[in-house]
Amino acid sequence: MSGLLTRCGRALTLFFFGAVVLWALVLILLPQLTMLERAMTAPKRQLDSSIALSLSRDADTCISVLRTHEAAPAANAAPESGGLAVPSLSTMGTQPSAQSGGLAIPSMSNMGTSPANGTATEAPTRPYILQCDRTTTRKQMVRSSEEEPAWLDELYGLPRLAVQDTDPIETQIETAREIGGLARTLYTELKEAEANAFPYTAENFHWLFAARAIPLSPEQKAIENARLSKKLYGLLGLRFERDGQVYERIGMITLTRTIAFAAMATALALVLCYPMAYKVALATPPQQAVWLFLGLVIPYAIVELMRVYAWTTIIDNEGLLNGLLTWAGMISEPIQFKRMPGTIFLVIVYTYVLFMVFPIYNVMATLDRNQIEAAKDLGARAWRVHARIIIPHAKPGIAVGCIATFMLAAGAFSVPRIISSGLQSEWFSQTIYNKFFESENSNIGAAYSFTYTLVCFVVVGLFMWAMRTRLKDFARVQ
Amino acid sequence: MRGKDVRLDGVSITYPNGFTAVEPTDLTIEAGEFFSILGPSGCGKTTILRAVSGFVEPSAGRVLIGGEDQRGIRPNARPTALIFQNLALFPLMPVWENVAFGLEARGISRSERRKRADELLELVALREQADKKPGALSGGQRQRVAIARALAVEPAVLLLDEPLSALDLKLRQHMRAELREIQRKTGVTFIYITHDQGEALTMSDRIAVMNNGVVEQVGTGDDVYAAPRTAFAASFVGETNIFEGRVSATDGPMARIETPFGTFLGRNPTGLDTGAHAMLFVRPEAMKIGAGENRFEAQLVRRDLEGAYLNLVFSTRGKDVAVHITNDGQPLALSGEAPTRLGFGSEQAVVLASGPLARTGREMAAQ
Repeated sequence: MSGLLTRCGRALTLFFFGAVVLWALVLILLPQLTMLERAMTAPKRQLDSSIALSLSRDADTCISVLRTHEAAPAANAAPESGGLAVPSLSTMGTQPSAQSGGLAIPSMSNMGTSPANGTATEAPTRPYILQCDRTTTRKQMVRSSEEEPAWLDELYGLPRLAVQDTDPIETQIETAREIGGLARTLYTELKEAEANAFPYTAENFHWLFAARAIPLSPEQKAIENARLSKKLYGLLGLRFERDGQVYERIGMITLTRTIAFAAMATALALVLCYPMAYKVALATPPQQAVWLFLGLVIPYAIVELMRVYAWTTIIDNEGLLNGLLTWAGMISEPIQFKRMPGTIFLVIVYTYVLFMVFPIYNVMATLDRNQIEAAKDLGARAWRVHARIIIPHAKPGIAVGCIATFMLAAGAFSVPRIISSGLQSEWFSQTIYNKFFESENSNIGAAYSFTYTLVCFVVVGLFMWAMRTRLKDFARVQ
Repeated sequence: MRGKDVRLDGVSITYPNGFTAVEPTDLTIEAGEFFSILGPSGCGKTTILRAVSGFVEPSAGRVLIGGEDQRGIRPNARPTALIFQNLALFPLMPVWENVAFGLEARGISRSERRKRADELLELVALREQADKKPGALSGGQRQRVAIARALAVEPAVLLLDEPLSALDLKLRQHMRAELREIQRKTGVTFIYITHDQGEALTMSDRIAVMNNGVVEQVGTGDDVYAAPRTAFAASFVGETNIFEGRVSATDGPMARIETPFGTFLGRNPTGLDTGAHAMLFVRPEAMKIGAGENRFEAQLVRRDLEGAYLNLVFSTRGKDVAVHITNDGQPLALSGEAPTRLGFGSEQAVVLASGPLARTGREMAAQ
């Protein structure tokens, strides 16, 4: 800090710190907090209070329409005509009563009122009126499909009242008034309660753990149960059987699978890159190393999308590989590479391997070759030279390379999307995308995304702890 | 520990790019000897060292250690230990693990390693520093760690590649004595590479003077200093005055050489014949003012006091002549006006065939 002050002066130091704070705030903290808030916000839907409110409004309309009807009893002569009702465009359609012919709007939702007209034997005293039909305390509340259905009267302890079209008009108005009063009181109470209620919920996160029933025939079930991955999911509690029905926690399975694949891709990249970096950095005279280095870089001068797309020409059913194998007479049917998880895995390694090579190469190149010779001179064999001299020296580079590759692989979107073209299980990044842009509740996407960030953060943290790489060491890589 | 002898039998080393670093060389280094290879940078001395340690295979000839041909034996299997110019300590290991690394490679248990490392650190007076990292030590301490690390594998031959060059003068002088002491205590054969003739002269039992891949002379310090056998050896080891000319007469072990500065008599160790192009070498401390068999006149141009010595520079016919006289506290009765008569004894002068000379400090600075 004081060093920075003397070197750069106060203005520049202030600017520097200001920039860092701004960056951390705007690009790290704020987006994550926004994401968290979205994740913890319940999906938009009709609140209980708004149902109470609409009930009170229906009651009011019902009363005024009944009053008009009372004033013009002539209309009563033709009850079958079904004339006065106000057509409602609201989604809260009614279950049309048997008598009301033409006006019925087929209900798309299950939120309708239950038919109140159980007494078909008695003649109605008035024509069908939609709002009166809806004026009942037996209202269904909006709940997610996971929850038990709930009814207004049961939920808030209201008497079960409804405007019966067989009652005398006076009684109907009386009932509607009573219902309207109850609904208004309830609305005021609920509105207050909702305003004071804690606005956040973990509901969106539940989706991640939600178990889905997987329809399987007994034969399919036997095959699935024998698979190692399914057994592992079972051990992790992500797959279970209840009453002969198989359930899978699909969100968690995708998450676990993606993290595991990303970790494996990282490990494979490390295994490939360490010898490469060693060869270029330490085992080649500097003049030749330049050419090796160039050879490593050139494939990466191609944009990522093209690099990935190039693979589809190889793995396609009519692609290079299948063509060659067919030509050689080794296969008669094309191999469905697109359906193999291994293909995505390999392409990810290919796409991001450079982010592993260069950090390792950079650190390794700073190792004094004399140290290697000294170790050999003291009698060490090659593996001990690597284990005791080169790897400890290259550790910060290995850590940076692994973290970069892991994060890129875990967040890969174009590779699984282009390579599998939907023919195999999703990468978790795809799941997040779908929840965000292709589901009715994008807040679930936020919950998934936030969870994923957290999980990756923990994985990286654990990895760093295992490598015992302190932040200080990272400075050495640069 | 017991040292072994090292023999180079017609060893020559040519790099793949065609550069010959070492011309065919025969060299015998006795067991338990402190042997220095002295030469300017690029003369091939480090290449010889690497051939002995096994990092370079000779293009021709054999390297024998203790009478055994080392061809095909890798560095980690040779009875040698190398101390690098930059020491090449392992910065991520504590000092004791550095020292014990060779034992670790030999599969010795950790507790045993620690014990041996402590003993060796005792030898180099670094017992207290065993758990520090090399980066926390001073230059001289690091130097001693490198020695302890090399000695830990009980080598028969210790190879040192200018290990003192990074130290400052005082420490360097101290370390010379310390190295000599360690060599005496352990009895290991030391092969010491240096371009510093002071180091070579003070520490070595014998010295090989090398130039351009060729060993010019092998002998004790006294030999090389007082009886050089080539123009390069004479000019590289110590300061010297050179008079170039032609041999005009020989007389047994002596030869008379005609130079533009006069005709001088000197020893003729290589048996030059009359008419040969030759150079006469006289050390500045052999020059006398107003005395000696060989005489000439010169003008005093500079006098520098260097404590016990007075370094005088005279000029005769555009040539500088250096004269060192002991500072006896008496004021020097010389003026720059009149020419001074200088002289030297014929026994202190050597006549050798003309040849390439070591570059002077001025030439090096000009480059």
